[in-house]
Amino acid sequence: MNRLDRDGPTVYQPAEDSGLLAEAAIEGARGRVLEVGTGSGWVAERIAAERGLRVVGSDRNPHAAREARDRGVEAVVADLLDPFRDDAFDTVCFNPPYLPTDPENEWDDWMEHALSGGESGRELIEPFLADVGRVLAPDGVVFLLVSSLTGYEEVLALVEEAGFAHAVAREESFPFETLTVLRLDRRV
Amino acid sequence: MKESLMDVICCPLEKADLELDVDERDDEEVLEGTLTCTECGEVYPIEDGIPNLLPPDMREEEEAAA
Repeated sequence: MNRLDRDGPTVYQPAEDSGLLAEAAIEGARGRVLEVGTGSGWVAERIAAERGLRVVGSDRNPHAAREARDRGVEAVVADLLDPFRDDAFDTVCFNPPYLPTDPENEWDDWMEHALSGGESGRELIEPFLADVGRVLAPDGVVFLLVSSLTGYEEVLALVEEAGFAHAVAREESFPFETLTVLRLDRRV
Repeated sequence: MKESLMDVICCPLEKADLELDVDERDDEEVLEGTLTCTECGEVYPIEDGIPNLLPPDMREEEEAAA
């Protein structure tokens, strides 16, 4: 199937979750910043503009990387944290694809990659949390967006397993979900 | 990509240093070129100023889809 020529958008555009992540990151980001799954690059651009920080945006979708670059974000096509060096970033932000999706209903295009978190909704959160400590500087901080649809308690368990302490940086309720931006600091 | 990006990127497979070869640049950025892993020799393209650091199997999957 030709995934690139189908009708419809191929890049996730900023929504309520993006706004919430941007607010939290603008308040708490410092040093060198990485936004994983940057999509249109809107959050990365806001952090760079409001805080004057250097922000790298990565996405596995080359269309997204191009949009982010057009906004002036330093863009990289990458799978999660794979091509980033140990201790390279002081701040890492991630608004993951988090919708739980029945495998029978996965539709296999770029928007699915931007939205679907697999059957559990945590398919990308798990490998992200397992690896983020590697790329994060010793006193680095992570901002992770979590939806109640993804299983808040389950995500907290993964956060703790990865060796981080968590605090709520932002929270907002919507008719069908509650969105929370967690701030993660290494447990000492 | 700005050349300073080299400080934060590595080979996605080996986590080893990459060697930058520039084919085209402007005042600020590398526009076309390659990044080669100094350990495994895998070559990653830089196109329109964007490095593609997907592991080779994922990159090929996407090229096949395009």
